[in-house]
Amino acid sequence: MTGVRVFITGMGLVTPAGSGINRTRDVIRRGEKTIRPLSLFPVDEKNRLPVGEIMDFVETGGLPRTHQLALTAAKEAMAHANQIPDAVVLGVTTGGMLTTEEGLKRGDVNPGTYQYHSPDSVTEAVARAVGCHGPLITLPTACSSGAVAIKAALEMLRAGMARTVLAGGADSLSRLTYHGFRSLRLIDPQAARPFDKNRQGMSVAEGAALLVLTASEEVPDHAIAEILGGGLSCDAHHPSAPHPDGAGALQAMAAAIHDAHIRPEEIDYVNLHGTGTVDNDLSEAKALNAFFPGKKPLMSSIKGAFGHSLGASGAAEAVVCALSVSENLIPANVGCTVPDPDLGIKPLTRPEETTLVRTVLSNSFGFGGNNAAIVIGAPDRAQAAMHGGRGDPCHLKVLKTACLTGAGNTEMSMRAIWEGRGCKGMVPDKILTEGLSARAVRRLKRLPRLVLSLASAAQSGSHLPKGPSAVFFGTGWGALSETYDFLTSLFGSEEQFPSPIDFVGSVHNGPAGQAAIYLKATGSNITATGGDYSFEQALMLAGVLAKDVDGPLLVIGSDEWHKTLTPLLDRSARIDTVASDGGGALCLGQSESVPGLKTGVLFYEIGEHNPSVMPSLMDRLSHGKSIQEKYEVIFVGIPAACRNRGQEQLATFLSMSGFEGPVIDYRNITGEFASASAVASVLAIGCLERGGLPGNLWRGKSVPLNEKGILLLGLGDRVTAVEVIY
Amino acid sequence: METAVNQLIKELKVKIIDTLHFEDITSDDIVEMDQLVGGDLGIDSIDVLELVMMIDKDYGIRIDNKELGEKVFASLTSLARFIHENREGEAN
Repeated sequence: MTGVRVFITGMGLVTPAGSGINRTRDVIRRGEKTIRPLSLFPVDEKNRLPVGEIMDFVETGGLPRTHQLALTAAKEAMAHANQIPDAVVLGVTTGGMLTTEEGLKRGDVNPGTYQYHSPDSVTEAVARAVGCHGPLITLPTACSSGAVAIKAALEMLRAGMARTVLAGGADSLSRLTYHGFRSLRLIDPQAARPFDKNRQGMSVAEGAALLVLTASEEVPDHAIAEILGGGLSCDAHHPSAPHPDGAGALQAMAAAIHDAHIRPEEIDYVNLHGTGTVDNDLSEAKALNAFFPGKKPLMSSIKGAFGHSLGASGAAEAVVCALSVSENLIPANVGCTVPDPDLGIKPLTRPEETTLVRTVLSNSFGFGGNNAAIVIGAPDRAQAAMHGGRGDPCHLKVLKTACLTGAGNTEMSMRAIWEGRGCKGMVPDKILTEGLSARAVRRLKRLPRLVLSLASAAQSGSHLPKGPSAVFFGTGWGALSETYDFLTSLFGSEEQFPSPIDFVGSVHNGPAGQAAIYLKATGSNITATGGDYSFEQALMLAGVLAKDVDGPLLVIGSDEWHKTLTPLLDRSARIDTVASDGGGALCLGQSESVPGLKTGVLFYEIGEHNPSVMPSLMDRLSHGKSIQEKYEVIFVGIPAACRNRGQEQLATFLSMSGFEGPVIDYRNITGEFASASAVASVLAIGCLERGGLPGNLWRGKSVPLNEKGILLLGLGDRVTAVEVIY
Repeated sequence: METAVNQLIKELKVKIIDTLHFEDITSDDIVEMDQLVGGDLGIDSIDVLELVMMIDKDYGIRIDNKELGEKVFASLTSLARFIHENREGEAN
C-alpha cells in the first residue's frame, strides 16, 4: 500500500506550569493545579477570578505575549529537528489582542501599535523564526483551534503537500476572553472543577504548544508518537452553547476513529475537553456514554490543573497525549473531588503511570459548535493505516457562486463589472440581509450578516441534491464590529458591563458557525485567517479536507469595513480613498466525473525574505502544459500596501512564464479589502461561464476564453495561485 | 404598586427590544404574562445574560445566581415585579 504515516518528532510546551515540557510533566506527575487569581492585567478586586497564568514568563519586548509564548514552544519543538518545516499550521484565537486592547484603551491611533493584532501574525513570527516559507495556515476556531490545526496539518502531510509541518496552538490571556467568559458567567470562582458535582465553570488560561509532525513511510528513529487520525464536526446548533446531547462531539469522535482505522475498544485513554462548565461537561459526558456504551477507557481533563488555554489547549493536550503513549503517563482530572453522578463517567482522580497506554483520543470543542477529536498512538503500533496516494487533492467542482460588493448582490456586482463601473464600496445595508429574516440576523453585526447572506445566496436555487455540509471560511480580520463594541463597552463601563452577545460574536469563527446553523451543515467547520490571503487558505483546506465531507462544501471569503479598526489594522484599506468590503462564496462539489469548472489552490508561500518564491511558483505551475496553453487570462491581486513588491513579482512572473495574455489587476475593480480575492474568484468563474471577459476589463475589447482557464495570482507579502479550469 | 409595575413593564419592553436588537417586533408584541425565555421571541441564555447586564447597569440590581435568574426571567411581569421590589428595598 502506498502512502504515509504521520509522526510526532518534536514537541514544545508552555503552560501555567512554566516553559518546557518538563515543567508540565512534573505538575502532572504530582497531580497539582496551577490556577491562581489573575495578575497579568489589573481588574476590579470583586471581578478577580482564578486563571491559568504563566507567572515566570519573561517577555522580551517587541512582540505581543502570544507571539512570545508560541516562539518559546517552537524553539523547544525544533530543538532536535534536522529540517526546516514545509508549513506552519497554528490554532490561535486572539493573536495580539492583549496589545491591541491596551492601545485602544489609551486611544492610540498609530497603526504601528496594532501590527501584530492578527492571529496570523503569530504564525508568521513562528515561520520566520524557523525559516519556513509556507504555506502558513492560521485557524481561529475558538477552543478547538489547536486540535483543528493538528488535523489540518495531518491532512496536508497525507496529501503530500508537505513532509514536515510545525503545528499547534497559542493564546495569551486577554481582557477580551477573560471578561468575555466572565460576562457569560462561565468562570468558576473556585477554579475549574471539570465533571465535579459542584462545578461552576472554566478557568481561562494561556499557553502554547507546538508539534513537529513528520510524514514517513517508516517509523522514524526519533518518533515520540503517531497521529493516527482526526475528526471534525460542527453542532450547527447554537453560537456558544454545546449541543445538549453531545451530537457534534460524538460525530467528531466517530470520525476520528474512522479516520484512524481503529475501534472504540482500542482506546486506552481519553483526554477530555472537560472545561468545567455545567453544559459542556454534560454534553461531552453524553457523547462519551454513547460512544463507549460498555466498559469505558480511563479518562481525564487537564483543564482543572492548567485551565483552558483556548487556541493552545487542543495542541497542549495533544502533547500530553503523546506523553501518555510514550511514557504511560495519564494525568489526573484535577479539581474533581465529587464526580457528578448525573454524568455517568468517572474521571481519574490520581495520575496513573502503571497502565500501558497504546492509543488515546483527545477531544476539543469550541464556540460555534466547532468540534475536533484526534487519535494518537504509540509510534511502534503495528498495522497502522497508511494514507495518501489519492492523487491531486486540491481541485473541487464549482456548483454555484455568490458575491457581495459595493455594487450589491451577485447579479448587481456582475452587471456593474460588465458595464465597466467596478464594484468598489461597502455592501449596501439593505443588500446585507437580503433573503434573511430579521430574527435570523437579530444578534449579528456586519461580518456575520455578510457571511450568512453569502451562504444563503451560494446555495439557493442551485438544485443541489444536498445542501452544503461543510463550511470553510477565510477572513482577514474577523468580526471587527463585535470586537470593537465589546471592548469599548468594557472600557466605557470601567470593565463592569461587557456584552455577552458581542463576546460570542467577536470570535473569528462566529460567522462560519452561524452559516452552519443556517445550512444545518454538521461537517467540518473551518475558519482561516491571514490578511489578504485568507480566502486562499480556506480554499486550500477545503481541498485537503474534502475527503472527509459527505456532500458539497461551501467556501467563503469575507471581510467587513469598520470605521475605527479597519484603518488601524488593514494597511491597504487605509491607503484607498474608497472604503470597501464584501466577499465571495463558492459552493463546491467533489464529483470529478461530471464535466464543468473546477477550482483549487496550486501554490501558497510567503513573498518576503523568500528569494526562491517566483521560481517555486513557476515550477508548480509548469507541470504539463505551459502557462499560456492553460490560461487565457490572469487575474492578479496586489494589495495597495505592497504595490511595489507585487509589481516586481508580477514582472518576474510575466518574464519567466512568457505569458502575453490579458492581466487583470482586480483590486481596481473590487476595492481594497482582505478577502477581495474571493470576489475575484467569483468574477473569474462568471467570466468562464459566459465564455469571455467583458470588453471594458481589458483594453476596451472583449476577450474570448477559448475554453482555457483563468489563473488568480495573489502577490505581495505572500504569493498564492488559484486556478479555475475546465 | 401595580401602576409602578405597569410603568416598568412598559419601560422594559422598550429596553428588551433595544438590548436584544429586535427589529421585527414592537412593544405590543411582547405579552407580559407569556414565558419570556425560550418562548416565541426566541430569547435564549445569552440574551438573558445580556438582560442581566442591562438590569445591573440601568437599575443597579445584580442577579447573580441561576435559581434566582430562572424565577425572575419567567415572564416580563415577574421581571418587572423583581426590579420594583428591589428598587423599593433600596429606597427604604
